[in-house]
Amino acid sequence: MKTVSSLLDSHWYERYKRISQLNIRSSIYDVTNRCNLRCKGCFFFSSGEDKVAREETDPNKWAAFVDEEKERGVNLAILIGGEPTLCFDRIEAFYRRMPTYCATNGLIKVPRDRFPDMMVGISLWGDEDDEKRLRGKNTFRISSSNYEGDPHTYYLYTITPNQMGRTEKIIRKIRDAGLKVHMQLLSNDEAVDGFSWRQEELDDLRAEMDEMLDSYPDTVISSKYYHHVITTGKMLGREFGWRECPSVTEPLDNRDPKPRRLIHFIRWASDLETVHRCCTSATRDCSTCKDGAAHMSWIMVNKRAHMRSAEDLQNWIEVYEMFAKLYQFLPW
Amino acid sequence: MQQELTTEETIEGVAKIIIDELKLEDVTPQTFDPDLDLIDEVGVDSMDLATVALVLQDEYGVSIDEDDYPKLKSLRLIAEYVLAHAPVKS
Repeated sequence: MKTVSSLLDSHWYERYKRISQLNIRSSIYDVTNRCNLRCKGCFFFSSGEDKVAREETDPNKWAAFVDEEKERGVNLAILIGGEPTLCFDRIEAFYRRMPTYCATNGLIKVPRDRFPDMMVGISLWGDEDDEKRLRGKNTFRISSSNYEGDPHTYYLYTITPNQMGRTEKIIRKIRDAGLKVHMQLLSNDEAVDGFSWRQEELDDLRAEMDEMLDSYPDTVISSKYYHHVITTGKMLGREFGWRECPSVTEPLDNRDPKPRRLIHFIRWASDLETVHRCCTSATRDCSTCKDGAAHMSWIMVNKRAHMRSAEDLQNWIEVYEMFAKLYQFLPW
Repeated sequence: MQQELTTEETIEGVAKIIIDELKLEDVTPQTFDPDLDLIDEVGVDSMDLATVALVLQDEYGVSIDEDDYPKLKSLRLIAEYVLAHAPVKS
């Protein structure tokens, strides 16, 4: 029987042991249905998720809800929206109770006196031209000013086909702002012309992502194996899709056979009662989904499948470390 | 009166369940080291343990509390847990 120590040398084994102790159980929460932007391609609005539930506005109910989530075993709250920073009292209900990550467009600054070490992930959809085209304004100018040098903040850079060959300029700007960056790919839910991926573009993009990681290792939080999996949609010969996705809301998951999945994962709507199908849009074709967290999780829940060889297991470790860094379970 | 299981018998029974459920290769219930760390060495995670726990419940009538998963790090510890929590037979 292959064991971890038979596959890894002492350096990798120590890295493995550091993460094998982590038992991360995340769920995702829509904090609000409102946003101060309306981006083309944002799944939340394009699939009408802003209309499925009325927001709960009572802070006490949010606090009680988070207590119940903690009781359910959740130890990482991932706050999305709408735009969570429109509702700091709701964010605080999470932050006071468990490790919390807040996704934001960065236009409103999270007050660090109130949330000193909450991880903030700023969405970025490209350079100035693409940001204006897709989001109506150049958000980077404002967000980088709000968060310059913040050690608990990174950019979640959603790369579009239009960004091919132009990622370095953005990554340099992020580096110069003293921030980190993690990359994922646009799924183009609203079929914006010219923003859907072709496989040959994805092959080139993978090489470009690898090059960025090699050139800016202190800025880019990523791994080459993650680049491979997200650009090909393949892992160990298996294809990403509905049958494989780990990020399906557990009470709605009636797949048979049951795939490996995130234990107790639920994506909650802002009424604190309604649940969404998965971590992204229920109208999305899963075979074309490029969600970064879903692909990372897909790798992470398949640990034993990566015990075929030392290289496979090292790839798995690097992806797990990347995830743990992005959510502050490990330092940068 | 039904005979009580010994620790060794339970270890072998748990080993068979784990090998079958997790589809482990190149190991048998007889060759499975009862003290091998299932998490650090075999790569077992909480989803694996949840799968195994369901079968243990059917086989031994023992319900394993999810909070106890981190303690169940080896075949021996699982077997001891099963024996300690198994319903008393009359």
